[in-house]
Amino acid sequence: MEAINQLLEIFPYAVLGSILAGIVCSFLGVFVVSQRVVFLGAALTQASIAGVAFSFLHLISIEGFFSSLLGIQLTENSFLHNIEPAFFSMLFAIITVLTFSQTHKQKYFTQDGILGIVFVVAIAIRIMFIQKSPVAEVSEIESILKGDILFIGSKEFYTLLVIAITVISIFILFQKQFKFVIFDPESADAHGMKSKFWLLLFYLVVGIGISLITRFVGDVFTFAYLIIPSSIGIMLGKSVIKVFFISIIVGAILPPISLLLAFKMDFSSGPMAVALAFTIFIFVLTYKKVKGS
Amino acid sequence: MAEEIITLSDVSIGYSKKIIARELTFSVCGNDFIGLVGPNGAGKTTLLKTLLGNIKPISGSIDKKDLRVGYVPQRDTVQPLLPYSVHDIVMMSRYVLMGYFKNPDKLDKEIVEESLQQVGISHLKNFHYNSLSGGQRQRVLIARALAFQPNLLILDEPTNGMDTPSHYSLLNFISNLHKEKHLAIIMVSHLLSDVANYVKKLILIDNGLFQFGEIDELLSEDNLQKAYSSEFTVKKISGEYLITSKDRS
Repeated sequence: MEAINQLLEIFPYAVLGSILAGIVCSFLGVFVVSQRVVFLGAALTQASIAGVAFSFLHLISIEGFFSSLLGIQLTENSFLHNIEPAFFSMLFAIITVLTFSQTHKQKYFTQDGILGIVFVVAIAIRIMFIQKSPVAEVSEIESILKGDILFIGSKEFYTLLVIAITVISIFILFQKQFKFVIFDPESADAHGMKSKFWLLLFYLVVGIGISLITRFVGDVFTFAYLIIPSSIGIMLGKSVIKVFFISIIVGAILPPISLLLAFKMDFSSGPMAVALAFTIFIFVLTYKKVKGS
Repeated sequence: MAEEIITLSDVSIGYSKKIIARELTFSVCGNDFIGLVGPNGAGKTTLLKTLLGNIKPISGSIDKKDLRVGYVPQRDTVQPLLPYSVHDIVMMSRYVLMGYFKNPDKLDKEIVEESLQQVGISHLKNFHYNSLSGGQRQRVLIARALAFQPNLLILDEPTNGMDTPSHYSLLNFISNLHKEKHLAIIMVSHLLSDVANYVKKLILIDNGLFQFGEIDELLSEDNLQKAYSSEFTVKKISGEYLITSKDRS
């Protein structure tokens, strides 16, 4: 109990932020897993980090552009300082999504082949960007890039809140279209629904959501919480609504518990969150196997 | 004679600049039951996608008059991980007819119920799609196409991978659907013998060759040899076609 009080006292936004990040990831994860594009999640997290690494090169000053556009003077703690990494993170994710959306036209590549290329190239260019960064040491930048739940402050928390509300609202607003094109894009198209447009919108929302979440909580947490809670939901849910409900509950509950465990056992919060989710996944899988046999 | 609902005039079909079949000219009328037959890779899917409007013809024109197509895909292409109910899936085609932000209303629900009833699976409406047999899944996809209230139903290889009783049960069901609802149907199959005893007209497509006409006109031994470069025996026993390849002997 004392540890919980301490955690809430020292890292209140980290606890709340981890819940929000878990909710968004697990919500998007249901779509990603059911659409069988899990590897897109992996490629997007790496592309997002490469985007953040690119921002450290300071080749293009988005901050300078916006500050001159808005006619404001940048200070040390200016909010605009946070926009540049997020901007490039999103930009790289959008490029990945647009590349992925064109894969159906390719004769010589499979979708997972292209995603594999994006994945490995993103890691390579991230390393190259960091090595040429003029602002800090490689190890220092690596730790910033990887993100950490404990670094979530009030600004990050409110940004996550906006992301969560926006992403979930878009999916609720266009649930009919997403439902049909994800279930059966060929028939959706044949019945007059522009499946290419809706799938592109779907991937863009997923891409932007993943890129922003990765920025705050790191690639390991983001990818794991895209896949594991939704897989648990799919195993246990007896209807689509229940799949979402279970996924979101798992995604919301496990991160604060893992923060507490990490705090007590002196581990990093991200890997602890993944280990806990994996343990629950194995437990549910075993339960399903035993029940099924 | 029923009104023409789709007319192709000198249409060449294919992808990019590669023409798969050229100079296709035919019309589908409101009460037609057509079999689209050809071996794998002959261009059936390309013609299907052109009819559906998913691919633009390379040349020629397609005239559609108030055409609403209900499409039934190959059921193997639909394998959801999420536990969608039969009712959920049939409702999907209604989504296209609703406004962007509207939810299904009473009329949509009634039409879905009616479609389920027509294909004889009302009792399965709360079942998960994944828990159904191949034949039942195919009926769900047909119900979804019917809920779209089409004037043309296109079925892509509906009996593919089915056991013999389910195979003929489904073909009889589709035939009855055509008779009872007076619905124009195009049924795609790679097996000529599959559709010969059910449809009234045929589209034969193979290696750039295209033929369209009444089934009796096209199902002659000479014509099949021309179309498939292979010899066939065509017999009519008790009003039913029996088509066998002479290569078997």
